[in-house]
Amino acid sequence: MAVLEEPIKGIPMAKNYIGGEWVESQGEIIDVVNPATCEVIGRVGISTKEEIESAVRAAQEAFYDWRRTPAVTRCRYLFRLGQLLEENFEEVSRIQTQEHGKCIDESRGETRRGIENVEVACGIPTLMMGDSSEDIASGIDEYLIRQPLGTFGIIAPFNFPFMIPLWSAPYAVATGNTIVIKPSPEVPFSQTRLCELVEEAGFPPGVWNMVHGGKTVVNCMLDHPHIKGITFVGSTPVMRNVIYPGCGNTGKRCIAQGGAANIIVIMPDCNVEATIPALMTSFFGNTGQRCLSGQTLVIVGDDDTFYSEFMERVTARAALIVVGYGLDESVQMGPVRDAQKKEKILSYIDIGMKEGAKLRLDGKKPTKIVGDYPETCFLGPTILENVDREMRIVREEIFGPTMGVIRAKDLEEAIEICNESPYHNGHAIFTSNGKYARQFQYDVISGNVGINIGIVAPMAFYPFSGMEGSFLGILHTQGKEAVRFFTESKVCIHRWF
Amino acid sequence: MKLSTASEAISFLRELEEKAAKFYEELSQRYPEGKDVFLSFAKENRKYFNQIQRAYYSVITDAIEGCFAFDLETDDYALDMHLTEDTSYHSAVTKALALEETTIQFYDIAAGQSMSLLADVPRNFKIVARKRKDRIQKLKSLV
Repeated sequence: MAVLEEPIKGIPMAKNYIGGEWVESQGEIIDVVNPATCEVIGRVGISTKEEIESAVRAAQEAFYDWRRTPAVTRCRYLFRLGQLLEENFEEVSRIQTQEHGKCIDESRGETRRGIENVEVACGIPTLMMGDSSEDIASGIDEYLIRQPLGTFGIIAPFNFPFMIPLWSAPYAVATGNTIVIKPSPEVPFSQTRLCELVEEAGFPPGVWNMVHGGKTVVNCMLDHPHIKGITFVGSTPVMRNVIYPGCGNTGKRCIAQGGAANIIVIMPDCNVEATIPALMTSFFGNTGQRCLSGQTLVIVGDDDTFYSEFMERVTARAALIVVGYGLDESVQMGPVRDAQKKEKILSYIDIGMKEGAKLRLDGKKPTKIVGDYPETCFLGPTILENVDREMRIVREEIFGPTMGVIRAKDLEEAIEICNESPYHNGHAIFTSNGKYARQFQYDVISGNVGINIGIVAPMAFYPFSGMEGSFLGILHTQGKEAVRFFTESKVCIHRWF
Repeated sequence: MKLSTASEAISFLRELEEKAAKFYEELSQRYPEGKDVFLSFAKENRKYFNQIQRAYYSVITDAIEGCFAFDLETDDYALDMHLTEDTSYHSAVTKALALEETTIQFYDIAAGQSMSLLADVPRNFKIVARKRKDRIQKLKSLV
């Protein structure tokens, strides 16, 4: 099959979108590199304090009129945005592949997931409804209304450059707030294209803003008195040490989603035929760079025959994974985002081996890269056996295409392994036994639980959950919880004399 | 060539249906006795591809096995659509029958393999396969 056409041409500059205007940053300019080809595909500015302040000011100014715009009118802008996203579906998807490296099927999947959030937010006239009670005492009525708060900051990671801001943004603006998005400077073009479509959809200037950058933008968002809340997706150390305390210090609302080291439990009664492709997607999809990727495989039971036959099939399938540029339609695993991330993954493989793990499938150097691309950011799938639950490759987030395999004597032990992990984002079980499935769902500590699902990604109308090391906050992004997060509950009690 | 990802299976289907549509357009020009049927088939071929593509774009998500959905071999669906100057009407329709049987086989197998792409994709493969089966009788009636 052919390599699809790249949508980003020349070396464009990713500009900020502030108050309905496209503005080039005056900060340091850095290159944006396609990790598959290693070519510079564009540039982006690391915005200054003045630039983020200008965006917050624009958002604050737009808030007065926007919150007075009826919800049905606000959601019509989202209907138009949704329509434009459908019309530009393929381009938006290919941009993700070009700047991030993921396969085109994965990018299209990301686009669809993003659009679904826009669609759910289109129901805001219903979702935002309050409650009322007549005669809470004689002649006295009480009701609750939900009101927007003002301007919110949305801080996004590199691994889902299009979708993750849409876990928050549509709900924030639909409820009458205004927003400033800070995409990852590694992948600025997906959000830039989205903002172009926001502009085309006719959103009033200042409602939807975007500022590229790094720490300066984040710190300014955290400190800014006019930012009422932050949604963040990124690493656990930043979530724990920067975002959550930063919001606490200034009294902001906060949804902080961190890292993960998910565990997939295999019961010997699982449907092996269906399980194996699910494991390929879970461990090696998106090149392992997602907070719902499997990292450790726990195979339950002392049946050596099952274990060896299962691992033989898993290894054989993983060894066949086609590695290359994601715009080549035959590719099943793209590069990691950059060479530093690749080094980190390689160092974890070494750590695992030093701690006693055995390399069953060596992906440190891909056996073949489809097409003539430099090896710089490419890895193959790696499988490590003889892994122990105490090892760092189980307890720390690797964020790469690796599978560490542990054997557990029974389901209880497997659940124990899940629950002692510092992360609790998306553990899953593969089984044909309803009792095992229920026990796992009941006892496992995990914000998202998969039963015969390798990537436990909640639909847009469910919250993207997460627990302990993977999440700080109360409410989550997506769906009704996002609506609650972006609104203040105001309770009114009436008595008329 | 082996097809594993949803994207390449969909692209292969686009080529398959486009080639078939062009074949039927050529038949419609060369054999007036079957012109209306051939033209309607050509139109349908493009419609069927759009139907499958729409289903794919509607359900594809990053969380399902899109990159590992298929195990198809393109050689199994090689079509002989070559018409020489002296190809008779009967031979041309026979080629069309073979084309339809091969294409139906593709849709049936693709429906079975795409269960991980949620309900819409396999359902649409099955719908098209069923409709294509009706063509066999129509083509037979032409000769």
